[in-house]
Amino acid sequence: MLPALLHTTPIPILGEVLHFAQARHTVLAGNLANVNTPGYRTRDLSQTEFQQRLKEAIAQMQRAPAGDSPGLMGAEPDEALRHVRSSLENLLYHDDTNIDLEKQVAEMTKNHLLHNLALTILANQFQLLQSAISERV
Amino acid sequence: MAALDISTSALVAQRIRLDAVSSNLANLTSLERDAEGRMQPYQARYVIFQTDEALQTRQGAVGVKVAAVQTEQVEPLYRWQPSHPYAIKEGPRKGYVAYPRINLTAEMVDALVATRAYEANLGAMELTKNMAQQTLRILG
Repeated sequence: MLPALLHTTPIPILGEVLHFAQARHTVLAGNLANVNTPGYRTRDLSQTEFQQRLKEAIAQMQRAPAGDSPGLMGAEPDEALRHVRSSLENLLYHDDTNIDLEKQVAEMTKNHLLHNLALTILANQFQLLQSAISERV
Repeated sequence: MAALDISTSALVAQRIRLDAVSSNLANLTSLERDAEGRMQPYQARYVIFQTDEALQTRQGAVGVKVAAVQTEQVEPLYRWQPSHPYAIKEGPRKGYVAYPRINLTAEMVDALVATRAYEANLGAMELTKNMAQQTLRILG
């Protein structure tokens, strides 16, 4: 019952965005750690790829409930998002430039802002759910 | 979080590099005993960095480690000191003493780069800490 309740909210999607932001933070931290390693190529997780997959997962989620009568355990809407999460390993690419410390730090900061934005909205969503459950505003 | 471990590996590696630089600066004019037991001028130490495959995440982030600390092999600096106890006794360099040839400027620049990399990784650790703390805020 709880998954069906949550899937009308952006909460699972925000969860995937958070997971992506944390994984990307680790990759960028790895770049900073290897700033003086000879022959090292910077790595990153592709944001456009991730957004594409998330869009497809959301579309699939919205299609699934259509023909199920209420109360039946239909296809788990979680499947689509789980696929996004497990495919994070395929988003790795090497840009062939030498590392620019400033650029890496900038990317890290942007990623950090995205992470905190997703967190703030997520906390807000939970508060809304809480006030709906307790019927108190 | 793996990000903390990766940043820590960088801190350790840069500190070892700084140790090598300090060693070179401290031994600007000293001698050391080589494999045959003779006293030779000190040769500069330098570190070799390598990505640490043991510290890898599934998404491709990787840490760093010091693969080896190598000793340079350069020609020593010769100074004319015929009354020195270690002066060369015979040959074309008779009366000269062999001193280490260490490039002071290069060592200082190396120390600066190591410090900058250290600070960059410290900044990354601050961000990681902040992300983890913010995540706990969901609870209330």
